[in-house]
Order: sequence, then structure tokens, then C-alpha cells
Amino acid sequence: MDTRITSSLLTLVLAMSAIDLPLYAQTKPAPPAAQKPIPRTADGKPDLSGVWVGGGFALLFGDAELDAIRKADAAAGRKPLPPQEPPPYKPDAEARRQQYLARRGIDDPMAQCLLSGVPRITVRPLPFEIIQQPHRVVILYEVHHAFRFIPTDGRPHPDDMEPSYLGDSIGRWDGDTLVVDVVGFNTNTWLAGVGTIHSEKLRVTERYTRDTFDTIVYEATMEDPEVLTKPWKQYATLRLRPGERIREYECIENNEDIQRFQKLLDTEFKK
Amino acid sequence: MRTLSALLCALLAGTVSVAAHHSFAAEYDGEKPVTVTGVVARIDWMNPHIYFYVDVKDDKGGVTQWKFEGYPPNMLVRQGWQRNVTMKVGDTVKVFGWRARVNPTQAASRDVTFADGRKLNSGPPAGTGGQ
Repeated sequence: MDTRITSSLLTLVLAMSAIDLPLYAQTKPAPPAAQKPIPRTADGKPDLSGVWVGGGFALLFGDAELDAIRKADAAAGRKPLPPQEPPPYKPDAEARRQQYLARRGIDDPMAQCLLSGVPRITVRPLPFEIIQQPHRVVILYEVHHAFRFIPTDGRPHPDDMEPSYLGDSIGRWDGDTLVVDVVGFNTNTWLAGVGTIHSEKLRVTERYTRDTFDTIVYEATMEDPEVLTKPWKQYATLRLRPGERIREYECIENNEDIQRFQKLLDTEFKK
Repeated sequence: MRTLSALLCALLAGTVSVAAHHSFAAEYDGEKPVTVTGVVARIDWMNPHIYFYVDVKDDKGGVTQWKFEGYPPNMLVRQGWQRNVTMKVGDTVKVFGWRARVNPTQAASRDVTFADGRKLNSGPPAGTGGQ
């Protein structure tokens, strides 16, 4: 991403935030329309059930979606997410990440239609559905037809785990936040962007907080003593999509990229 | 504005990568935009992204067939596209996109303008998913 443009945009966003308060003070507009209450299940927990999207809103719904998001956030008085930090990699891992970046992401497991891991699958630009039950939370992802069963009944991780793309999840409630502990990963996924490798020692702690009727603040903390010097956090806003449904997405159907990307590796990047 | 939209999209989503399927930069060059006008010869409406082929005539009567990549069907239908309705074989279209790094007649499409003036996004902005 162009650092200069990013800085300008951040300045713009910050400037827009800064002028909000004086304008409010001067004009004293009517208070925002009453927000719909956050729905709750019979046991009093926030109900996360619904179809959500975690990233790529303009890719999925068109450029006008960005305006709709800005207006919705302003109306709800939502604060911007914390700034993202680069991955705190140990030198060896960072060197490997830089190699993958220099190869322009050609090695991305996603390009081979392999299942994305956690947290990356959350921000893929296709919807997922959360089904909340008293003893578990189920997430159905359109991308890869993937699913996660997240028990919330207090059981531990199973003792016969095999390393897997999405790992094994167990959940618990911390007040109004669903906290999911995910371990048991294989090393065939990238965490959040090109070259964000990890080891089988990866542990991801996800926090799902429904801050408004329409949104969930998603926070993922990644810990991996093999490659990271400290925990690494990523954030996203998950947005409710009423009326949306999960569709079929068979990624491998006509994936010409596998062959063409291999050709690039065999020619441009041949050592 | 295309870049601005992509960056704002990234900011709003957090800066977690939002690649549709793969890094744009892997195969395409965002510094090499291209626009062609021709007749749709073939549409592969399939995952992980569609391809459509456009026959472009040159001044000497020759025809070059361009291959364009686009969004997956699930993204196109959510933006109003309909398979075999919105774009059909035989339609005359103007396509904007960015050239592939290797194949000189392949490109990543961004938008398609139809004979009646409709202009629809057909693929992601340059740079999407590269980081």
C-alpha cells in the first residue's frame, strides 16, 4: 500500500473526526435516531446469529457500499478501529515474509483454493453465517464451504487433534463478548496478508463483541513463540447483512491460477 | 479515485488483507491500464473468478482475442449481474482493466461498458489483496 496516500487518508479520516465535535457543539443537531437494541438469547447473552461480512465490502457489494458504511458508522457513533500493526516477526520469519512479498503473493495458499485459516477467513470478501445455540456457536463460511463448531459448554480442546487449516475452537463468554480459543493449526495458511506465516504452535484468541445491532467488533490476537516476538492483534468490523444468504462457492472449479502461477515461479522466479 | 476507493475499503475493513482469491499483483500490473472495445466471444462464468474473451478488430481488419479476468460469480450477482443476461456472447463492450505481466492479450478487468451506456464493475481495483 502506498504509504504516502495512506497517510493522507488517515489524516483525512482524523480531520473528519476532529471536525465532528465542534460541529455538534455549534449546531446541536437532534440526537441520533434510536439504535435498535442488540438482540439477546434466552440466557441473556448477545445473539450473534445472522449473516455477516468482515471485509471487502466494495468488492462484494459495489463502490457505493463504502458511503453506506461511513454513514452507518457516523449515525451509530462508532469509533474507528485501533490502527493496525505490522506483524512482530522474529528476523528469520520476517525475512521469509519479505521473500513472499517480493514474489508478489504468488505463493499464497489461497490462490490454490486451499482453505484459509483464522483469522484470515473472517475478512475474506464473502459472507458467513453465525448460528448461536445455547451450547455452541456455529459459523458457516461461504468461502470454501467451511464451517466451525465452537462449543461454549466448558469442554476443553480434544486430546486427539490433528493439525488443521481452521484449528480447533472452544468458546466462552466474557461478559457480552464471545471469546474463542483456537489451537491445533497446520502451517498451510497465512494469518492476515501476504507471507504472514506461522508454526503449529500458533494460538489465536478471537473476541466477538456486538457493539451495535448492525456490527460486531472482531479482534484476533495471534501468539506463536516460533515466529512472533510478541502477540499480534488484528481488528475488523463485521457487518450484518439482513436478507443476505450463503451461496455455493466451489473455488477449484476453474482455477487456472495454479498452472499460471507455477509457470511464473518456473520462469520469473527460477533460481 | 480507483486507488482511493480501494484504500478506503481497506481502511474501513481494517487493513487485514481482503484478497478475493489471490493477490492482484501476482499476475497483473497496476501501472499498465488498458481499454479495449470489441465483441464478446466467450464467457466462462465460473469460480474462482470469471473469464470472458473479447474479439478486438484492428485497423487492418485483423482480430485479436483478449482474455479478461473478473470477480467470481458470487460477487457479480451481488452487484446486479445476471449470468447470460447482463453480458452475452455477441455483445459489443468496452472493457477497462490492467495488463497481465506475461500474456500480452490478457488483463484483469475492472469495468465493462455496454452498448446502451451501462457501466458495471467487473473486477477488483488494482492492488487489491497484494499486502
